[in-house]
Amino acid sequence: MSEEPTLLLKCVGEMDCPKEVVMWNYYDHEHLIGTHYKLYKKARILAENGSWALVYRNLRMPLLPFYCSGIAVQLMEGNVMKTFHKDSIGFLLEMEAHFEDLPNEKCRVTVTYRINTHPIFKIFQPLFQMLFKSWFEATWEEDAPMRLRRWKVHKLGFKDFSGIDYINKKLPRPENLTYKNYEFTPPVKSFSSINKNEGVERFYKGGDVVELGYSN
Amino acid sequence: MDNLKEHIKNSNNDTNDSYKLLATKSDLKKNNNQITKWIDDHDILLYEYEGAIKAISNVCRHFGGPVGYHKCTKGKFVCLWHNWEYSAEDGSCQTHLGLPLRQYDLKIEDENIYINLLG
Repeated sequence: MSEEPTLLLKCVGEMDCPKEVVMWNYYDHEHLIGTHYKLYKKARILAENGSWALVYRNLRMPLLPFYCSGIAVQLMEGNVMKTFHKDSIGFLLEMEAHFEDLPNEKCRVTVTYRINTHPIFKIFQPLFQMLFKSWFEATWEEDAPMRLRRWKVHKLGFKDFSGIDYINKKLPRPENLTYKNYEFTPPVKSFSSINKNEGVERFYKGGDVVELGYSN
Repeated sequence: MDNLKEHIKNSNNDTNDSYKLLATKSDLKKNNNQITKWIDDHDILLYEYEGAIKAISNVCRHFGGPVGYHKCTKGKFVCLWHNWEYSAEDGSCQTHLGLPLRQYDLKIEDENIYINLLG
């Protein structure tokens, strides 16, 4: 078998927030059925320990008209997130996301999608690239406002499971409001049923849902 | 009401002023009776529910997601990010009791809807 992966795609994107915000977003399993409710139907954490998780997901790739299920191991190793996804057809998809800081509280994300299989499948490279490019773009488009908002509320002093203290208490903005560096240490804390037998399912299923979007 | 009008007029550029013009009633109607808008540090969810115009925080207390991303369904808002649910009646959290959304005082004068950021 060839040393080179049979199917390969590299995608790069930049965000106006520190890399830790994007890492939080990538490692958050529960947002799949929220932010990405058009792509994901169900998610369940089968096992999790610190910086790794074994996750079940039911999803639909853009351009494809059907949902499929798969199991993935997802792990954070420093500034790299690796995902090994076994789909229902039997291919092992490897995804590697590298996060790096850029000046002025910006960051760059480089994602590589790779399948190592028999060289005969090389003929599917254009299709593989088209599918995963559209996947990267679709998820990026939905995640980008989430990351920017997360960074914005962090700078206002937002605390998880609490909120923005001075706003909740109806107090004026504190003078000299400052913010700490955004820190991310997996796992993402959750009290939902994502790590129970039933997992979590999307609330919105399309149909007559009215999206008003993010605030201006 | 005249006092309020005068107060708003006089302190239009004052960041310490607690009342701000949020929207007009026709804006609200045009937008499916639901608008979200940042004013200063406040992300506000303005909506009409059972004939009353109300405003609550649009910042989910879980991770800060947008509560009013979708139109209110069956009397509740569901945060886009992780599906935390809040009552349209009073902003109370149905996912985790004890974490309600902050409610804002409104003043409605003719067409205009003013919000008290400190009230």
